Amino acid sequence: MKRTISALALLAGLAPGLASADSTVRFWYHFDNPENPMGDLVAKFEAENPGIKIDAMNVPWNSYYDNLYTSIVGGNAPDAAMLKMFALPRLLEMEALEPLDDRIAAWKGKDDILPNLFDLTRAEDGKQYFLPVQYVALYLYYRADMFQELGLNPPQTCDEFRDAAIKLTRDTNGDGKIDTYGFGFRGGKSGHEHWGSFTLGRTGVALDQSLTSDAGAAGTQFVIDLFQTDKVFPPSAPNDGFQEIIGAFKTGVTAMTIHHVGSSNDLVEVLGDKVAATTVPECGGGRWTTFGDESTAVLSNASDKDAAWKWISFLSTAENNALFNTATGQLPVTQSDTAAWQGHEPRFVEATQASLPFAHLLPASSNTPEFVNTVWPANMQRALLGQITAQQMNAAIAGLFTDD
Amino acid sequence: MTTTSVPEQEGPTSGRRAALWRQVMPLALLSPAVLVTLAIVFFPMIQTAWMSLHNYVLFRPKNFDWVGLQNYFNIFQDEVFWISLHHTILWIVITVPAQALLGLATALLLNQKFPWRPLARALIIIPWALPSVVIALMWAWIYDSNYGILNDLLLRVGILETSIPWLANPDTALYAIILTLTWQGFPFFAVMILAGLQSIPQSYYEAASLDGATPWRQFWHITLPGISGVLFTAILLRTIWVANSMDVIFVMTGGGPGYSTYTLPLYSFLEARTNLNFGYGSALAMTFTLMLLGIVILYLKRSAKAVQ
Repeated sequence: MKRTISALALLAGLAPGLASADSTVRFWYHFDNPENPMGDLVAKFEAENPGIKIDAMNVPWNSYYDNLYTSIVGGNAPDAAMLKMFALPRLLEMEALEPLDDRIAAWKGKDDILPNLFDLTRAEDGKQYFLPVQYVALYLYYRADMFQELGLNPPQTCDEFRDAAIKLTRDTNGDGKIDTYGFGFRGGKSGHEHWGSFTLGRTGVALDQSLTSDAGAAGTQFVIDLFQTDKVFPPSAPNDGFQEIIGAFKTGVTAMTIHHVGSSNDLVEVLGDKVAATTVPECGGGRWTTFGDESTAVLSNASDKDAAWKWISFLSTAENNALFNTATGQLPVTQSDTAAWQGHEPRFVEATQASLPFAHLLPASSNTPEFVNTVWPANMQRALLGQITAQQMNAAIAGLFTDD
Repeated sequence: MTTTSVPEQEGPTSGRRAALWRQVMPLALLSPAVLVTLAIVFFPMIQTAWMSLHNYVLFRPKNFDWVGLQNYFNIFQDEVFWISLHHTILWIVITVPAQALLGLATALLLNQKFPWRPLARALIIIPWALPSVVIALMWAWIYDSNYGILNDLLLRVGILETSIPWLANPDTALYAIILTLTWQGFPFFAVMILAGLQSIPQSYYEAASLDGATPWRQFWHITLPGISGVLFTAILLRTIWVANSMDVIFVMTGGGPGYSTYTLPLYSFLEARTNLNFGYGSALAMTFTLMLLGIVILYLKRSAKAVQ
């Protein structure tokens, strides 16, 4: 009898484990940082949730969405993934996402998420498919030492920005050649964030037909003039991407650039107190900067949706979220982690928070990825090189969003 | 001494069987390779042709509307297609002859006797052996306008007064990548031509010398005819490879600045893979395949005559 009870007890103990032992959550994410804490997060989660295994794959950013879309169509999509808002309309058209409203409503961590983040990441159909995991807002980095040397103040308007950029573009070693440029402009992929700060803040201008207005064209023309007339961008600007603009800023080739808090630790390590931050300038009556969102989601093809939800909600829970953001260099989405956050120097966190009132997401349109990946870079590069006018560039972009 | 007995043929039936087996055996042995080729080459080709007749955007997988030849008509009104075609022609017409000439010169040098010749022959293959992505990243750094060694050298010797953004300037970007691909591809020609050179009997040159032929006439009448077969095959293969090659461009500029380094394979790739427009991307790929096929057939016909 005793032996029978022991055997039953053993079976009862094993049963829950056996029931869910097969659950493996395939999770896709993208981290640039080589110090990747995903292994620690996975180990912690697996210890807390025996029976669920996490197969986390770091997919290179440049081909992240190409791989994701093709994997969905090919029937080999991950169970959960890190996603940005601009991808939401396409993913909804593909019916690739699982609504999370009920799960979020029952999740005890929901009240710790920063206010408004659920509103910002809600889909147009009113449902919640995304769970926020990190955020940033872009601001202006500038070389405080160079500004002090030339008696300049951080620019608050486009005119001040232009004036400062012209003065900062100079030959510093007396060999007759320009070795410092006023601004490191990103002409390659994702450079729409720089262009947007000079164009989309203008009164009445947005990513739609209003881009073809005089105010819209003036914004693009401002960027073109900075390159062609004032020559305050490095000559390589039309092709420059993230590595180039940050590299040039670190080495003193540029005195200003626009990026988010994710670069601040790296810049402080090289430049110390010489690097400072302020909001992007006001141009044509308003300010505009990019709200850099990142969420996680459960894909509709997930074999075990409960397990996938457990994993993504784990990543947005206090402490885990802080560890996650230590690697990405962005800001935590939980109120508890935000209060105790020491991942960045305060001046950069302050610049981020000061930028939030005018930080915007890109339009929720299926054409937004095309705008980001091909239409904006090709047209901006052509405009910078004088192959098309500001009006033609804006018309091409407006056409893309009007077609939608 | 032992003898092996050969089974005697047992009448006309077994003879027919043996003859049939001789006919079937090559097909049986070839069939695995043929089946694999059909599965991984011909099936996707047919699929591409089929998709090119549809309006197929990957993020709208349910919409697969028949549009007939509309994608092809759109291609001919597409400015970017004509820009890409122009670049593709330049890309092939400059790169393949440059690789061939550099490869020929290298092969002639390596065919001479000099100390460390085996080491030189081994080293020359390095550019060909390196992955394209490594080459593209390496050359992108060489061309970098802020830190690149090319600008640094030219500034130091006084040829340049200011750095040139080789890859960001529409006038230089394509040619800068062509130089990169020439460097990558010339070892293929060098190795192929070297093999051809070694098959030419030395006695031809000795006889020509005795008859008073100059080195140039020896090259023209002995060397060149001796390697023409190899050269013909190498040029054909490289033309196809170079025409289809887009990895180096993709890594170095992604097609930019603007459309300055767009070639047809790259345009087709970006349209399908990045913009997810598989219908139009397939039509671009099919158009380019047909053009390349035409060139290859023409080349095969003319060159076969010349070699004979």
